[in-house]
Amino acid sequence: MKMRLIIASVLIPLGIIIAAVPENTTKPFRLTAGELLEEVCEGTQFVSTDEIADMLVQKDPSLQLIDVRTQAEFEKYSLPGSVNIPLSDLLSEEWSDFLDQGVKMNVFYSNGNLKANEAWMISRQLGFENNYVLQGGLNYWAETIMNPQAPKSVLADDEIAKYDFRKGTSMALGGGSMVAIGSKANNTPKPKIKKRKKKKKVAGGC
Amino acid sequence: MAPLIVNEIISPDTNLLIALLIGIGFGFVLESSGFSSSRKLAGMFYGYDTTVLKVFFTAAITAMVGMLFFSLFGWMDLSYIYVNPTYLTSAMVGGTVMGVGFIVGGFCPGTAFCALSIGKLDALAFVGGLVLGIIIFTEGYPLWEDMYKADFMGTPTMNELLDIPRGVFALGMILVAFAMFWVGEWAEKKFPREEY
Repeated sequence: MKMRLIIASVLIPLGIIIAAVPENTTKPFRLTAGELLEEVCEGTQFVSTDEIADMLVQKDPSLQLIDVRTQAEFEKYSLPGSVNIPLSDLLSEEWSDFLDQGVKMNVFYSNGNLKANEAWMISRQLGFENNYVLQGGLNYWAETIMNPQAPKSVLADDEIAKYDFRKGTSMALGGGSMVAIGSKANNTPKPKIKKRKKKKKVAGGC
Repeated sequence: MAPLIVNEIISPDTNLLIALLIGIGFGFVLESSGFSSSRKLAGMFYGYDTTVLKVFFTAAITAMVGMLFFSLFGWMDLSYIYVNPTYLTSAMVGGTVMGVGFIVGGFCPGTAFCALSIGKLDALAFVGGLVLGIIIFTEGYPLWEDMYKADFMGTPTMNELLDIPRGVFALGMILVAFAMFWVGEWAEKKFPREEY
């Protein structure tokens, strides 16, 4: 009898507290607005097109490109090895394993910066790590990697080296094919590969 | 932080070890509080001894309040907690079978092993019946597979089905539990029986 009163006087007030507080007041590992603002100001989430091109050419297994545009746009053109997570599906359960992980480097991209950055901000706010944004999006990708413009010859050597690198990756990643982006491309002809006939050993014998 | 396995704070093997220790403690407490007596357990259904109700319901509401507070403090992510899937038909049929077995045999599976460990022969018979039941169920599985899998409801919780907040349901549960304790103690006075 007395025991029941003691237990009741402990558990019932606790129950009242639990009933009164809202659910999920604390979500662990969430960023505060201040922390997020700091990251946004620093812009650490941006990865340049050159870095991505380099990783693609080297077939870096840690890179995971994520296209946040619509499925129709994704089917029209996408970067090699990328998956399509339309911005509206970002929070669906299906993709949580992709976005919230500590192994791969996720790089969001869209046509410009905006949608990809929105995806990054939402996922960062949820506390997800390893998510980045392709600087300038596909438009800048097309401009710099697919159809690089030759720098003026007066520029410094590193500019020219950059151009050479871009031209090389452009060939490796099938550049020049993005006519849709506007510039009259196709000025990067693929090097013709001369096929040499292999010398065969003389067959036959006795 | 918690659940510890999901967040890789402990490994599944360590978890088994902890489960073993908790299990030993559980069995010890069960035995020492008299749960190895089938009369005490069956008393629940006749009204002369409602210890079973009081102990298990106190455990349930304590765990419930604890987990809700852990979630409130951000120590535990309740979305990772395993919820047993509900198959309504088999829950009702199985509950009936279990309940009848409980009244007839005077044990539930856990307490049967508890009593067996101190050498009670009726518990040995009960465990024998338990094994027999398991064999019949598994061997005849194709016969009742349809019924077993009928009315699958996913993993709903009561507060979701009733569409009320989790905390409010918890408070209601606590109040219901204490009301049942009160009724139980009233029944103990109403149907007294000698302690064996």
